Amino acid sequence: MNVLLIEDDLEAAKFLQKGLKESGYAVALAVDGRDGLKQAQEQNFDLLITDRMLPHLDGLSLVRALREQGVRTPVLVLSALGTVDDRVLGLKAGGDDYLTKPFAFSELLARVEALLRRSAAEKNVPQTRIRVADLEMDLLGRTVVRSGKEIQLTAREFKLLEFLMRHADQVVTRTMLLEGVWDLQFDPQTNLIDVHMSRLRQAVDKGFARPLIHTVRGAGYVIRDEDKSA
Amino acid sequence: MKISPLRTSAARLALGYGAIFTLGVGALLGTVYFLTTSVIENEADAVISAELEGLTDEYHRSGLPGLADELSYRTDSWGQAGVVYLLVDANLVKEGGNLKTWPWDYIPTGQWTQFDLQARRGDDTEVTHPVRTSVSLLPDGHRLLVGVDVMQQRRFARTFRNATLWGIGLTALAGAIAGYFLSRKLTRRVQSVADTCDAIVGGDLSRRLPLAGSRDEFDALALAVNNMVDRLAENTQLLRATFDSAAHDLRGPLYRLRGRLEDAGRMPTTELPVRAGIDAALTELDRVQRTLATLLQIAHAESGMAAANRATVDLAELITDIGELYEPAAREKHMTLKVAAAGNCQVSGNRQLLAQVVANLVENSLKYIPSGGHIDIRAQRVEETVWLGVADDGPGIAQGDRAAALKPFVRLPQGQSKDGSGLGLSLVAAIARLHHAQLLLEDNEPGLRVRLGLAAGA
Repeated sequence: MNVLLIEDDLEAAKFLQKGLKESGYAVALAVDGRDGLKQAQEQNFDLLITDRMLPHLDGLSLVRALREQGVRTPVLVLSALGTVDDRVLGLKAGGDDYLTKPFAFSELLARVEALLRRSAAEKNVPQTRIRVADLEMDLLGRTVVRSGKEIQLTAREFKLLEFLMRHADQVVTRTMLLEGVWDLQFDPQTNLIDVHMSRLRQAVDKGFARPLIHTVRGAGYVIRDEDKSA
Repeated sequence: MKISPLRTSAARLALGYGAIFTLGVGALLGTVYFLTTSVIENEADAVISAELEGLTDEYHRSGLPGLADELSYRTDSWGQAGVVYLLVDANLVKEGGNLKTWPWDYIPTGQWTQFDLQARRGDDTEVTHPVRTSVSLLPDGHRLLVGVDVMQQRRFARTFRNATLWGIGLTALAGAIAGYFLSRKLTRRVQSVADTCDAIVGGDLSRRLPLAGSRDEFDALALAVNNMVDRLAENTQLLRATFDSAAHDLRGPLYRLRGRLEDAGRMPTTELPVRAGIDAALTELDRVQRTLATLLQIAHAESGMAAANRATVDLAELITDIGELYEPAAREKHMTLKVAAAGNCQVSGNRQLLAQVVANLVENSLKYIPSGGHIDIRAQRVEETVWLGVADDGPGIAQGDRAAALKPFVRLPQGQSKDGSGLGLSLVAAIARLHHAQLLLEDNEPGLRVRLGLAAGA
């Protein structure tokens, strides 16, 4: 996977580049908006990560310019501007996700993976059933069955599980869950998501030999068939 | 603020001037009235005096018989003109004149006096004529009475007095009406100034007062206010730019710091105790970051810029979502969290910010109330207001500390042991102001109840 990172803070860019490389991405670097736009136009990247405030051409103008030219590459906008409105503006300009600096690297990595997976999934027809190992979700009938046994979930637990299953094998962070399941963009001070996850685990994994929902230390959660990936 | 045209300084001014003007008109008309009536009365007195003088002269010249002759002559020729005469002897018995009897049962002492004469008109109705009169004592004990019918004068005086009163009344009425319309006109202009200022205070710094172009005192005021708002907008813009760059400048180092720490933590050679230290440092960094983010959010909300991103928000739905989000956390702390909504709770606002309000309040409750406590989240439509509130039965905030609790970095005595940033309620206050919402901190007896009153409707 090829990623273009556009960031004028060289030192920070180096850490990001190093971290992404360690996670298996090829990372090109641009240090200002003009350079970034040029590289994005000339080469075919799978993902762009751009800072919002850049010399010569700011990140949002860059995204707008690319979108006008029909470039659909997913874009993750990084910004020091963290208010709700800034985020809305970032997404309106054509960004696919918005992350406020400073962020944990694991948060960036999870969002990068989600964006890449999403752009791949958009090419397929809409799903009506999602399956992870012996766990199956019927999106139309709103039912969940594991090993032939129906699992009773509340509406919110269903949404939570759906979000996890749509991102199967990917780490989803707590903020991603809060955004995706509750449509809330703030940073709760208590371990809210963990409590909800532990209830979901009770329902999904209790009584089965192989747990499907796993905690990823320092990052978030993942739903995954361990046997398959092992 | 709504201005009533009856309570303005213009109305008071008009009332004051109306009163002075009415008093002036009253004094003028009153003087004219008294002067006129006294002139009329003097005229009657002059007639009486002249008659008396003439008749007394006649008496001195030709004695009592001459006087009687003169009286009968004058009665024939003057009687119709409303002059009455009576000559009586010492026993008040009539000896001449056109009056039937002595009109009193006593002898008047003063020079001028008056009596009422019942006169029969042609159609047999009796009319009372007031007669002004003077009595002269002749040397031989006879008394001569001369009087003038002053009914016409009295009638004229009465009409004049009524006209005067009407004049004063109409002046006062005209003054009041003119004052009301003047006040209404001024009120309209002042109201437009007040409305615009309210909008500016509400965060719309692009609004300016309208100029009538007449260069009057209102235009001068509007110009001054507009200049003030220009300066205010400039300063706000500067403040925001400073905040943004300060945020950027602070976040840069924090960003790199985090990068370095995380990078060190990921290195396979890093030993376990060092890794634990790095994790602890990252946790502290999280706290710094969160405080900075909250401060920026407060500044942003206070600047009024965030008002742009508004939509219809159903608070009933919102509190259900938030309640559901926090319910398991509350249960884990052995607290009861309840959500209740009543009526149509739609408001115009920013969903994320309003969610932040409820979340901050609930998190405060979770932090400060003891195990076993209760938290109530409520949305309720009362007439044109939707009340959004969070109440608990914890220690509450003392009446005197409530205003301080809304200020940034203020930590109240009972909160000192907790690790809050002291910004939670400040952010709530800033978001409330941004939504033009009334924010109330009340006693829940026991506990704290925080309520936001938002204008209902989309």
